[in-house]
Amino acid sequence: MVKGNSPSELVGRIAFHALVIGGFAVIVLPLVLVVWLSFVSDAILTVPPDGYSFRWYAEMFRQPQFMDGFATSLIVALVATLAGLALTIPASFVLARMAFRGRDAILHLLMSPLIVPAIVIGSALYMMFVEVEIRTGLPITGSVWGLAAGHVLLTIPWSIRLVSANLVGVNPSVEEAALSLGATPLATALRITLPIVWPGVVAAALFSFVVSFGNLEVSLFLVSAGETTLPIAVLQYLQWKINPTVAAVSVLQIVVVGTGLLLTSRFVNLARTV
Amino acid sequence: MISSQKQAGALILPATAMVVLFLCLPLVLLFRFSLNRFVPGEFMVEALTLENYARFVSDPYYTSALLTTVVMAIGVTALCLVLTFPIAMYMKRASARTKSLLVLLVFLPLFVGNAVRAAGWMVAFGQQGVVNYVLVGLGIVDAPLTIMYSPTAVFFGILSINLPFAVLTLQSVLEGIDDNASDAAMSLGATPFEAWRLVVLPLAMPGVLAAGVLSFILTMNAYATPVLLGGPQFRMMAPIVASEVLDQANWPSGAAVSFSLMGTTLILTILINGYVARRYAYQR
Repeated sequence: MVKGNSPSELVGRIAFHALVIGGFAVIVLPLVLVVWLSFVSDAILTVPPDGYSFRWYAEMFRQPQFMDGFATSLIVALVATLAGLALTIPASFVLARMAFRGRDAILHLLMSPLIVPAIVIGSALYMMFVEVEIRTGLPITGSVWGLAAGHVLLTIPWSIRLVSANLVGVNPSVEEAALSLGATPLATALRITLPIVWPGVVAAALFSFVVSFGNLEVSLFLVSAGETTLPIAVLQYLQWKINPTVAAVSVLQIVVVGTGLLLTSRFVNLARTV
Repeated sequence: MISSQKQAGALILPATAMVVLFLCLPLVLLFRFSLNRFVPGEFMVEALTLENYARFVSDPYYTSALLTTVVMAIGVTALCLVLTFPIAMYMKRASARTKSLLVLLVFLPLFVGNAVRAAGWMVAFGQQGVVNYVLVGLGIVDAPLTIMYSPTAVFFGILSINLPFAVLTLQSVLEGIDDNASDAAMSLGATPFEAWRLVVLPLAMPGVLAAGVLSFILTMNAYATPVLLGGPQFRMMAPIVASEVLDQANWPSGAAVSFSLMGTTLILTILINGYVARRYAYQR
């Protein structure tokens, strides 16, 4: 941009940078404040604090709802990630490689978990699980499996998008060469195609994990009293009060999600995924 | 490599079946339940009635909550767009290194979860919080303000959640706009602001629209932020759905509110789209 020197352009530049700084502040401030609170030594929020300490991180480990929640979130996110990949990798192959009638319809269907409000997905799944439980006696409501099923659904659009994006760049003639040299289709898929699309698969796995681990609105309907995820435990605690312990738990969540994203950014251009 | 239609079907079926079984089917069931009758003490009675929808449009409990939600969505989206454009332009112009850092900075809050971010705002907005400390310290106000459990707190909470989505949406569109276009305008005598208004903004309009629609929809469906920052007296739509389904076990009403919320969001989104498209075409 050409730099002008007139007063009005100076005002414009100041306004522009003020908006940039203000906007970033609104995005980042809440996370900064949570991290700060977790290191404060007072048990209740006072500004400025009397001192700083790590004791709330020790306290966090003594709170069973957070530790159990962390374990549940971890298990559900792992199950949802693996199941989601098992479903979406084959589907992405077909969607990226083949032209067939109804392809767009199926693509829209697979993307729809992003469009339907999470709170509605949660309500609908919850009611169906209760109905199925009444009819069959299978304990789905409030189980880890019901929760994982809901989370698999949420990971599907992201995985399809990330894996397909990688597949589109692969030249099919490489695979045809392998096939013509006598490799079985399975061997070709595993030894030729998979290594090429590996970055997309890793990104999809990490993204799915992050989406599942941080989910709140769908989990809300699918957890039970003894089986809570970390975000739900945080939500329920915050409805009661805010203190450095719950801030420390939040930092735990920030670290897990942040690590996932940092790893993902090594494989894909994050800016292109939303 | 995929040799037959049959094979292709087998590969795509599991994912499709998952979405049909765990999204489409539950939604059909939810719609069916919205036509049932809720009798206190008896839970849900099978019926084919529109009374749940009728109550949604007539009962002030729902209409005022819907109005609050829509006003919040419009207000947040307006400020969101005002902040999004400078941020996205700044990111477009930044060096590759700075840009990847900024993208990560925008991305992290996106997935950390809304409860954690609401916690951050609680630290900021509390009676003993950071904002009051600064305001009183600078002598702007005499006594701490009550910001928590107010629409203002919810407004900033939701704004902070929507901004990353809007920024990334707009930024991807801005990346595709050639800098030469605005440089040419300025070399022909336009001020930077005129170049932005007459050249960059029209080119970026699809991105602005997409970012605005996203922010609008996200606010219409916001749950954790109104619950944690708005307090019990402040009502928006998504918390009402959750409370009817989980706390009051009034499934028919919760289901009807769900569909009314989706319907309202869809209609308003189409109207905004149409309005912007018309206005934009007129300006050209």
